[in-house]
Amino acid sequence: MTTTEGKRASYKQRYEEGDDGIRFQSLTYTGNFVGMEPVTDGIKGDKMMKSRAKSKVLEKVSKDDVLRDEFTIDELNDLNNYLAWNIWDVLVMRATEGVSGMIPRQEYEILAFMHEFYRWPEILRMTTEEVGGGQGIMDIGATARREIGTKVNAVHDWCIGAVGFGMGRCGLLALEAIGPGDYVGESNEILKFMQRVLWGKRQDGYILNSQDRYRCRIHEQDFLDQLVGQLEPIEHGSAKHSAFTQFNAAAELLSFLDHYDCRLGLGDTGPYELANGNLLILRDLFVNEEVFHWSDVCEDAGLPHCYTLALEIDPEKMALDEIRVNDISTTFTRPKNYIEAIVGGAVFAREKWNTPMGEVYPIKIDNLGDHLGRVQQATLKLYTKTSKMCRRDLIWNGQYVYYIDMILPHLRLAGTYDKACRDYDLWEIDQRVANYYYDITKRGFAQETVPSKIFSGAGYLPFPDGASLRNSKGRWL
Amino acid sequence: MADVLAEGYNVFDTGKSPSGTVKYLESPADVISLIQSGKLAEHILLVQGGTTTFLAPALSMGAIGVITMSGAPESHLGILSREFQTPCVMTAYLTSSDSRYVVGNTDPSHFDEIAKALDGRNVRLDCTDHEVGRVVAND
Repeated sequence: MTTTEGKRASYKQRYEEGDDGIRFQSLTYTGNFVGMEPVTDGIKGDKMMKSRAKSKVLEKVSKDDVLRDEFTIDELNDLNNYLAWNIWDVLVMRATEGVSGMIPRQEYEILAFMHEFYRWPEILRMTTEEVGGGQGIMDIGATARREIGTKVNAVHDWCIGAVGFGMGRCGLLALEAIGPGDYVGESNEILKFMQRVLWGKRQDGYILNSQDRYRCRIHEQDFLDQLVGQLEPIEHGSAKHSAFTQFNAAAELLSFLDHYDCRLGLGDTGPYELANGNLLILRDLFVNEEVFHWSDVCEDAGLPHCYTLALEIDPEKMALDEIRVNDISTTFTRPKNYIEAIVGGAVFAREKWNTPMGEVYPIKIDNLGDHLGRVQQATLKLYTKTSKMCRRDLIWNGQYVYYIDMILPHLRLAGTYDKACRDYDLWEIDQRVANYYYDITKRGFAQETVPSKIFSGAGYLPFPDGASLRNSKGRWL
Repeated sequence: MADVLAEGYNVFDTGKSPSGTVKYLESPADVISLIQSGKLAEHILLVQGGTTTFLAPALSMGAIGVITMSGAPESHLGILSREFQTPCVMTAYLTSSDSRYVVGNTDPSHFDEIAKALDGRNVRLDCTDHEVGRVVAND
């Protein structure tokens, strides 16, 4: 280590009730709280947002609360405000990244946001009915407690509400295609689905990692113990350390590329404290999503659906001040470089999305070389293939990554994916959204207007007091 | 005191301090061409965006250092350069210029100026500071 010698880890202080965490960025958030003290990032920001809520929906909620059919207007607005802050918290700095040079991501994102808001509600309603109601959706969330290599994870579950509802509604408001009082019923449908999945997964009363000081400790202990038993010690500077960290990076890169440069390919849980005081992060890297036709190069390379890496981190070695597993399943630390503090690791492979846990197999670190070669081969082939695609194909492919993949794991487990394709034309593009394709590039809508509304928080207009919970879109004027 | 040509966000603090000739990559074809040349390890890569996909094969094949003109450590390229332990300076600006990157409102001349000033220069990346990464002249 180069810069932390002599310092001690202080991260446990972050879990003391009075602690506000440390700031990861200097920016602040206003959103719908104009004229009030600006909201910070991190633990302090979470506390401020909870303190401004009108309802109890941001506190720990009970199973009965979650099973209730719908949110009140106050609860909808509290969730709207909290998700808007949470989106800012995890994405405001990422959003400075500008043009891709490869994939028109801002364009595909905004189309997907709006498509999801329009199309998901009836599909999520059908799925809830097919599994027998709210409990069935909570049970889908609970499956993640005893699985690795599952896309029922923080980022997918968060996306249902934060992206489908939050950003989708925000984009349509910015386009003036809808008003603040429209689609109340549909909003409720999306947010209830999100709440049920997340509550079923966490089972501690919270739904988001940010509500729990950025922890996503979802696995049951006996399941976790089986994974921990496979950890191999890794010495910094050794060939094993290099092999493990290089594989982690290369597989993560391919997981991003296969998902069109979005976070859906990555899923961290943790940090779990081990008996020796070290921390464990479990990382799913989805390197071969069979539902995408471009993933054929990953299939040809013989890659599994998912590699799962167990990363054992020594907090003292890096003098850890804070660790966050945020709601888009990504780990950030202060100091920033945790790679040099990895002291143990294990790798697992899940061949298909529905491969039983008993058939998930470990890969020794010394045997990762062959896997790394195949990951690199698939990366180069997918890059070459993608670089030849026209702009329209890139945009619609990316749109599908969001619109399909964000709810795909839930539909798969509910057994409603085929029904959604057959009876609800899941893979069709809604005519309204198809027409927006031409609008989003005008007047900087995709690259300036929407990012500004989404990341400043200014676009998440509240539902009006007294709006009917049954409101849909009554008129097009 | 060596000449600091540019500064930006330091993605992660590291004692690694790679040196090489800055290579500005404008298109995927440039990236593929560089990899096929076998000279990837001779260059510090300069790109406009902070996304991962554009540089994907270069990162995977062993890029030694990266400079971007937008993005932050929380951007996908920042995350991946940390995982690869590839030193990376993001949203770099020229110390000799007042021009700065502003999200959604940056004139193309800003990027042109940086590319023109750095492309072909022999530099070293200094990523020892917690927050600020520096592009230092070697030539």
